[in-house]
Amino acid sequence: MAGTLTLEDIVRKTTDLPSIPSAALAVIREADRPDASAQKVAEYIAQDQSLAARVLRLANSAYFGLSRKILDHREAVVVLGMRSVRNLAMVASTYPWMIRPLKGYNLGPKQMWTHSFGTAVGAQLIAKETGKANPDAAFTAGLLHNIGKVALSIWLENKLPAMMAMAVRDDLTFDQVERKLLGFDHAEVGAYLAEEWNLPEPLVLAIRYHHHPDECDPPEPIVDCVHFGDYLTMSMGFGLGGDGLRYEFSTKALQRLAIDPEATDRLVAAFVASYEEYEKLFQDLDQAA
Amino acid sequence: MVATQLLVGMAEIQVAKEGPLFVCLGLGSCIGLAAYDPVAKVAGMVHVMLPAAFADKPVDKPGKFADTGVPHLLEQMARLGASRSRILVAMAGGAQVFNFGTGSAGKLDIGRRNADAVEAQVQALGLRCLGKDVGGNQGRTMTFDSGSGLVKVRTVTSMERALCSLKGS
Repeated sequence: MAGTLTLEDIVRKTTDLPSIPSAALAVIREADRPDASAQKVAEYIAQDQSLAARVLRLANSAYFGLSRKILDHREAVVVLGMRSVRNLAMVASTYPWMIRPLKGYNLGPKQMWTHSFGTAVGAQLIAKETGKANPDAAFTAGLLHNIGKVALSIWLENKLPAMMAMAVRDDLTFDQVERKLLGFDHAEVGAYLAEEWNLPEPLVLAIRYHHHPDECDPPEPIVDCVHFGDYLTMSMGFGLGGDGLRYEFSTKALQRLAIDPEATDRLVAAFVASYEEYEKLFQDLDQAA
Repeated sequence: MVATQLLVGMAEIQVAKEGPLFVCLGLGSCIGLAAYDPVAKVAGMVHVMLPAAFADKPVDKPGKFADTGVPHLLEQMARLGASRSRILVAMAGGAQVFNFGTGSAGKLDIGRRNADAVEAQVQALGLRCLGKDVGGNQGRTMTFDSGSGLVKVRTVTSMERALCSLKGS
């Protein structure tokens, strides 16, 4: 297989590619604009009835703990704010396909979701704590950082043991092995998909450079937030696949975020607390999927 | 007969009279510590997340930290009749990302620090450790069958393997 297929071939030939409803993509783009309009966000959600229903169900989950029921998506935008609703739209749009197992990475049902959601929560926390990036954009970037794995999985089925053996023998990270075998890695495939979806540039960069934030030139804080969120998620064992924690960590990203390594344990504790709080949202996701 | 399964979630402590299968799922840098008193037939497990409790914060879950989790595990086992001097333990987990570079990043290596902190508790409390599988870059699942005493570890890509028996044989 090595060298015989281009990244474009892989994307073209993969039948079960991840997808995000166009209404949700429009919501992300609108919410990212400096002059974003809550009314427009509500209008975009209204374009997709199934998305609107799922967003509404999430808005009424125990996570938000509202004293009364939100009755429609317009009200959700007013009560929760357009950035929260944008995140709900992303959760509602990705959950149905992210809970599927990914055999190529040895990820069982829901594990891709657990890892992606963990990274979203982690990236959001780091963005909030450091004030270096918009926490909601960091959340979306974290949620999508591994979308390339969804496309690549089928091409790696049955190859994982050999890939891990190569990683150990040649002292390589897993993304290095992917590049050796295919000529590109899951981050590049993910960035390609993100560009196809016309996602905002910082999200594309976060997906492309999440394992190598130092290669993002000029540096982009959201990339560093996702890198650190990914580290927190891997460290806590959320949704680990066969590639495990076999990825490099950039201490330069930490310096750019002005995070003192001494604060690591507190960040870990805050991350897990935040993730557990978000599980109240999960309680309703199965019905919303 | 299939043993009752006791899932030991992150920061949790579970204890029981012998019989159940204790399971720590998805250990990344966390440590699972299985413990057993073969005379009192009392078993337990803790899923430690961080090395040490914060000096300025109350401890919400003792199992979260090595320095509170291991002593609490022993206390809970003692309530069921276990005696510290007889307790045998085994530990697994403590994985870390591939490369931290050099310099001030030592604190980031939670896996190694967790393993060191649990080991320090084991030594300080005078427990005999019969099996240890820590470090590396792979997530682990650890099981302890308190009926047979067998502690097993598996990674996502490897078959389950026996680490040791806490029946003391």
